[in-house]
Amino acid sequence: MTLYDKIMALYPALTQQDFLTTIRLQNDSDGRGDYIAKWEHPTLARPTEEQLA
Amino acid sequence: MTAAVTLAALGNGPAFSAYASTNQTISASTNTKIVFGTEEFDTNSNFVSSTFTPTVAGYYQVNIGAGPYGSGEPSRQSLLCFKNGSTYKRLQDVATPTSSAFINAFSGSCLVYCNGSTDYIEAYIFISVKSGTPVIDSSSGYTFFQAALIRGA
Repeated sequence: MTLYDKIMALYPALTQQDFLTTIRLQNDSDGRGDYIAKWEHPTLARPTEEQLA
Repeated sequence: MTAAVTLAALGNGPAFSAYASTNQTISASTNTKIVFGTEEFDTNSNFVSSTFTPTVAGYYQVNIGAGPYGSGEPSRQSLLCFKNGSTYKRLQDVATPTSSAFINAFSGSCLVYCNGSTDYIEAYIFISVKSGTPVIDSSSGYTFFQAALIRGA
């Protein structure tokens, strides 16, 4: 399950548009995998590491 | 004489061309750095780990192409030129709400000023999908990254 899939499972109401505007996921292809580069959603809290584990 | 000297300097400026040598599976809805494993040329050895860090200050023509494919349906494809770790130019941004096909030949170009020491350029892609997993094709004709100095600082 990708980071995107985990976030969508936590917050099913998120839309594709959210990932173009207030949320940015990134992968620098350096072996560290996907990460949250920006989380500025107006109502939903940034997921914790525990929630994403 | 001045023009000749300038052209000679540009003629020796950094230039590189690289392409993806292995298919790259990426996560949907995630800005992902494209990996270019094979160099066609790299005149100043300024291209390392899919990152171009030119050692000569000036204005660079940058060309980026990618060949996405995969199972499922894409809903959006974006091709990004990153400078110093963040989006500098969005070269392509295509919503494909009624198509079930990836846009396989996906490219763009821009001009980027680099200071010749710390500035660096990377190629990123973003693909959201209705279903499935996107893959970037390993092909010199589809997935490439090039830059060359076209004007000194």
